[in-house]
Amino acid sequence: MSKVLVVDPSLCTGCHRCEMWCSLTKYGEINPSRSNVYVIRREPAVDVPVVCMQCGLCIDVCPTGALKRDGATDAVVVDENICTGCGTCVKVCPYGVLRVDEETEVAAKCDLCSGSPACVNHCPHGALRYEDAGKAAARRREIWAMAHGVRIR
Amino acid sequence: MWYGFAGKLLRVNLTSGEFKVEELDKNELRKYMGCVGYAARLLYQEMPGGIDPLAPEAKVVLATGAVTGTLCPSGGSYEVCYKSPLTGTWNQARSGGAFGPKLKYAGFDFVVIEGKAEEPVYVYIHDGEVEIKPAKHLWGLNVEETTDALIRELDDPEISVAAIGQAGENGVLYAALINDRGRAAGRGGIGAVFGSKNLKAVVVNGRGGIKVARPKEFAEAVEKAEQWLKNYPFGSIPSLGTVGLVSLNNSLGILPTKNFQTAHFEKADQISGELLNRKYQIKRRACYGCSFACGRYTSVGSGKFATPPMEGPEYETVDMLGPICGVADLEAIIRGNYLCNVYGLDTISTGMSIAFAMECYEKGLLTDRDTEGMPLRWGDGEVMVKLVEKIAHREGIGALLAQGVKRMAEQLGPAAEEAAIHVKGLELPAHEPRSESKVLAVQYAVSPRGGCHMHPNWASTWDFGQLDCGMKEFGIPWPPTGMQDESPQKGVVYRYVALQGEISEILGACIFYSWGTEGSCITPQLYAEIVSALTGWDVTAAELMTAAERSWNLKRCFNAREGFTRKDDKLPGRFAQAIPDGPSAGARVENLDAMLDAYYEAMGWDRQTGLPAPEKLRELGLEFAIN
Ligand code: SF4
Ligand code: SF4
Ligand code: SF4
Repeated sequence: MSKVLVVDPSLCTGCHRCEMWCSLTKYGEINPSRSNVYVIRREPAVDVPVVCMQCGLCIDVCPTGALKRDGATDAVVVDENICTGCGTCVKVCPYGVLRVDEETEVAAKCDLCSGSPACVNHCPHGALRYEDAGKAAARRREIWAMAHGVRIR
Repeated sequence: MWYGFAGKLLRVNLTSGEFKVEELDKNELRKYMGCVGYAARLLYQEMPGGIDPLAPEAKVVLATGAVTGTLCPSGGSYEVCYKSPLTGTWNQARSGGAFGPKLKYAGFDFVVIEGKAEEPVYVYIHDGEVEIKPAKHLWGLNVEETTDALIRELDDPEISVAAIGQAGENGVLYAALINDRGRAAGRGGIGAVFGSKNLKAVVVNGRGGIKVARPKEFAEAVEKAEQWLKNYPFGSIPSLGTVGLVSLNNSLGILPTKNFQTAHFEKADQISGELLNRKYQIKRRACYGCSFACGRYTSVGSGKFATPPMEGPEYETVDMLGPICGVADLEAIIRGNYLCNVYGLDTISTGMSIAFAMECYEKGLLTDRDTEGMPLRWGDGEVMVKLVEKIAHREGIGALLAQGVKRMAEQLGPAAEEAAIHVKGLELPAHEPRSESKVLAVQYAVSPRGGCHMHPNWASTWDFGQLDCGMKEFGIPWPPTGMQDESPQKGVVYRYVALQGEISEILGACIFYSWGTEGSCITPQLYAEIVSALTGWDVTAAELMTAAERSWNLKRCFNAREGFTRKDDKLPGRFAQAIPDGPSAGARVENLDAMLDAYYEAMGWDRQTGLPAPEKLRELGLEFAIN
């Protein structure tokens, strides 16, 4: 089974290094606003990385067929030659993790770096992982459930 | 095209309400590298000697460096450079959080603030645009309230706010500038300078990136740093926070206690990092871009010291609001830290001023008449917290304490002098120069901003930490000769320690991560690799050293113009006396003069005056600073 990206916000320190590595890898510059992984850092004490779930909802709405699933990683990828930057996909993404890049003017989203995600490779605290899909699914269930649980102090 | 830097300086004149964007000159910038080095040049050239730091003519520089906001693992810092109203010297206060990176993403490496606004204002800098906006509605609010109000007003949760609280508005001479709610540009009274200018806050945000000259090479250099830092000798700090040092330092007899009367605190286990983590920590927190994450959020759930979530307290704060005041109540310390952050106070000078008052009270130099009937007894956490409130509002005895230890002693008379623990008016931080390190004793005496252990470096790295920090190849004496040795060699060592530390200051890097050896920290050589790939300038470690030396000399020249010479490079009298008890009983500083002689000589400074010799300044291309 292939691997998927999974986050554990409880380990995130809000350092934004994943965003910087993403933009460096994709555009050769350091710019968190050109990143395909998003760290929501708010006061007090909120640090949550938000990533693309590769759910494919955006594929279905793209009027030009610019979004496809990569056969090797199952990532949803943008064909920059076809994308017109119309932004239909931005509207439908339930996680808000797809944007139209201001410089290239085409859709930009996480493509799992062809199977070696830069953000995961460099997260200093293991808050981002690229794991076996089954294990990751279990972790996602756990994190989702615990986020909605009542905290007893 | 600029790589690594934004390439622009913003000049804001609060008197006229106008601003100007200036292009930076690459050659001139490279000469100083940036951040504090370039800020020293700006302030030296633009602010003549003798200006009242609280007058409209005083200027403030917010400075970032090459690595600020980049992937360099320590690159979250910015520095505020100004003339301190507390000391009358050069001052620089560093802070992390998101402010520095976002200033650069907004398109500016430096902001120069001049003049004085007629009414309270704040400066909003976003994506190359600048607005000076009214802040009357924010005046009187604390830092937390101000930050929240600005996030609502500007409708942007991603802004970074650097604001003053009531302490800065009220002119407390050690008021801090607090960014991102819990990160302080703490020392020397920048908050009072902002207050004197009617400047409540500077707000930044930007979507611009930092271009990298050679991305592949840069990624490799950063990866190398990430690998090396796996062996970082202080790698355990994040797990407990810097507060972990409380137990360690106490067991070694180097934990300053009761206004430096001793260096050992019997109740240290009641204020330890272990306890803080177990009972009060919410989560670990990093500055923008930092992989170390030494910060943490804490809170106190209930009781008389109930405290909402807030960053800190750090080691310095725990000692200053704790043992230094004899206080063994962690909840009082957390509450005190919170109040310092929201009112905008430097926790070090605050704690030291309180401790000084407590010692004066013990000696009968301050009485119940002065304190409106409040006994200032060692160890009273409630009194400590009350005094923080009074200082911020300059209320009652707080007005006296708000001036700092030096001025308080001047008012209380010669008998109080002995208890006044400061150098050049800056209260000492939580490190014991008698027992922790004699290089530290030199540093306290000569630091440009006064009694300081951090700018440009933690001097104890060499003899306490036994670390060369990559300086062996530059000639740092090796091996270390032991913490208590007072041979002139200690003065020579400080030359290397200072210049190595100054490299972080001119690059905009945090000082953590520059302590270690090759393979375990970011050495000058590794910084050179990172900066070269980032900027496209082929910078060598030697070039960084020269730029650091320029910066270090210029600050000395800045102070010389304000009248500071060798005569001011001295330690409080207490350090000539032995530590009375604890594991380091008997330790004292006996030979400061000999160590200073050696230091000036190593720097190429005049021994009598302690000032940079004209030949030295010429060699560094600083002819304009010869006077
Ligand atoms: S790199 Fe890791 S710890 Fe840092 S912000 Fe991203 S997910 Fe959080
Ligand atoms: S970008 Fe959004 S819609 Fe598209 S695959 Fe990712 S999560 Fe799904
Ligand atoms: S922006 Fe591009 S990828 Fe998104 S819907 Fe439009 S054409 Fe498709």
